[in-house]
Amino acid sequence: MRPRTLTAYGFLTPYLLIFLAFWVWPIISSFWMSFLNTRRLPWTFAPQANWGRLLVDPAFANALKNTLIILVVQVPVMIALATVLAVLLHSPLLKARGLFRFAFFAPVVVGEVAYAAVFRLMFNYEFGIINKLLALIGIAPISWTSNPTAAMALIIIAVTWRWAGYNAILILAGLQSIPQDLYEAATLDKVSKTRQFLFITIPLLRPIILFCIVLSIIGTMQLFTEPFLITNRGGPGGATETLGMLLYRQGFLSFNFGYASAIAYTIAAIAMALSLLNMWAGKERR
Amino acid sequence: MSAIELKTVRKSFGVVDVINGVDLAIESGEFCVFVGPSGCGKSTLLRMIAGLEDVTGGDVFIDGKRVNAVEPGDRELAMVFQSYALYPHMTVERNMGFGLSMNGMAKAEVDKRVTEAAAALQLQPLLKRKPSQLSGGQRQRVAIGRAIVRHPKAFLFDEPLSNLDAELRVQMRVEITKLHRQLGATMIYVTHDQVEAMTMADRIVVLRGGFIEQQGRPIDLYRDPDNAFVAGFIGSPKMNFFKGTLRPDGKVGLAESAFAPALSSRPGDNREVTIGLRPEHFEIGGEASVALTMEIDLIENLGGNSIWHGRLSSGEKLLVERRGYHDQGLGSSVQVSFRPDDALIFDHDGKRLR
Ligand SMILES: Nc1ncnc2c1ncn2[C@@H]1O[C@H](COP(=O)(O)OP(=O)(O)OP(=O)(O)O)[C@@H](O)[C@H]1O
Ligand SMILES: [Mg+2]
Repeated sequence: MRPRTLTAYGFLTPYLLIFLAFWVWPIISSFWMSFLNTRRLPWTFAPQANWGRLLVDPAFANALKNTLIILVVQVPVMIALATVLAVLLHSPLLKARGLFRFAFFAPVVVGEVAYAAVFRLMFNYEFGIINKLLALIGIAPISWTSNPTAAMALIIIAVTWRWAGYNAILILAGLQSIPQDLYEAATLDKVSKTRQFLFITIPLLRPIILFCIVLSIIGTMQLFTEPFLITNRGGPGGATETLGMLLYRQGFLSFNFGYASAIAYTIAAIAMALSLLNMWAGKERR
Repeated sequence: MSAIELKTVRKSFGVVDVINGVDLAIESGEFCVFVGPSGCGKSTLLRMIAGLEDVTGGDVFIDGKRVNAVEPGDRELAMVFQSYALYPHMTVERNMGFGLSMNGMAKAEVDKRVTEAAAALQLQPLLKRKPSQLSGGQRQRVAIGRAIVRHPKAFLFDEPLSNLDAELRVQMRVEITKLHRQLGATMIYVTHDQVEAMTMADRIVVLRGGFIEQQGRPIDLYRDPDNAFVAGFIGSPKMNFFKGTLRPDGKVGLAESAFAPALSSRPGDNREVTIGLRPEHFEIGGEASVALTMEIDLIENLGGNSIWHGRLSSGEKLLVERRGYHDQGLGSSVQVSFRPDDALIFDHDGKRLR
């Protein structure tokens, strides 16, 4: 190697060491750990103890099912909502645009605990504003945290509230990059506003929407904060336990690191598979 | 009946008046060019005709029908944008046919029109490509094709060639002119390039500050401008302007000489005027009757002709255009002369004195 290159690596060494020790090594080591039986010392090589258990463990099946249900409902709803929001935020008719843009983005910068506390208050059975509002239109109060279906809905609503604005801002950036004269050309060609949206805006937004979907899939696969803080650690009775929650329980409550590692790798693999599938399906075909 | 008529049309953006009362009648089949310096309102005027901008005051007529409140899509005009405004996600074919199929035209008819336009513009081999796979000139052709397939009442062009390199610009200029002849369509063409205006137009409309300074055939604007602005704007190299004095005896004093221009009236008193002389109206030597002494600063040789940059004894700059190649000594003085009839006289406010 030339001296100059060596010098460069010399300067990089501290960073590379830390990167290796705290990033690469844990990834490799946890992969190795997923093949170990870590329920008692000494740890022994036993692939079926973790990977085999995944296949038969009802708690894993339940967490996987919950996660996928949330994913399948929440991601499309949120992206659709974000697209609508972005279009509204883009409208020249909207006054005080900067304020609205900030307001919709704000949930992302709010602390997770504060946000969870507010949601718990809002959806409180007796005092929550949501049940009060429902009462106004004659709907009986819903016990958001003790009814399994309502708890799932609550998680979906909370996650959507938190991330829709963020995605809307990303999509808004995409909208703003579409040149105005495309719409003028279409207007002169007597193409209606609705068709302009369907045939010009949506196709041109496709890459950015795809990007948002992939980000959301990855985020939702790892879902942890909401079931942990809002629905009392995946309650009621595991009805909102996600893969992220299960991983936490196995790793940090039961200290079964091998099984937790296997779950972590499963989450990553599913997220990657879904993202690739989605990118493949969304790819332009000629 | 005029194809497009504007009656005291005005436009303000908030408190800024951009178009200040324009009257214009464009005949059917005419190639009309709007020229003027940047910001004079050419695009705004065009967009008002297209319906992309509301009219603040006055009326716009298309085929005798008032269209102030008619939607752009119902005006049956087609526009070619400076940026081309092609749909990036559609093929050339789809770009051209998009407007038609969106309006429910049968696919066979759309295909027929697209094929025709593609043939006229040599686009057949490119039909399956996306705009990103085309050169600037090809994109421009697609944009024109998209206008042609509509069979519009008139074509509107907003500086369509300004993103092209010089050679392509000349080529497209010729193609658009040919197209105009083939289609016999009404065209309004915005440019700030006076060469495009001179070579393409049946009629030039010179705009400045939201007013029409003058309109007419290119050669009339060139030979017989109404004011110093039009005289200076039309023609390349630019017209020379000198300060002079118009005397009661009808003669104009310029530097060391005096001459009698073709004017019908004489002032009662000495009057400060501006004298306009085109570079090609000068001769080297004293053959024409009015002689001036020019100190040569620079000679630009273009091969076929040359442009001499010089100064009069008064310090005023002077351009002289001559045929052939010249390499006279720089810094030396030569005598140049012109015929009094070629001189245009402008009043202090720029108005032409006749
Ligand atoms: N939407 C708008 N709001 C406010 N002012 C505008 C708007 N559009 C144009 N103007 C102003 O109107 C004037 C005329 O603009 P216009 O685009 O018609 O000029 P132009 O003659 O086409 O110039 P160019 O040769 O640079 O294209 C300019 O001073 C411009 O700043
Ligand atoms: Mg313009």
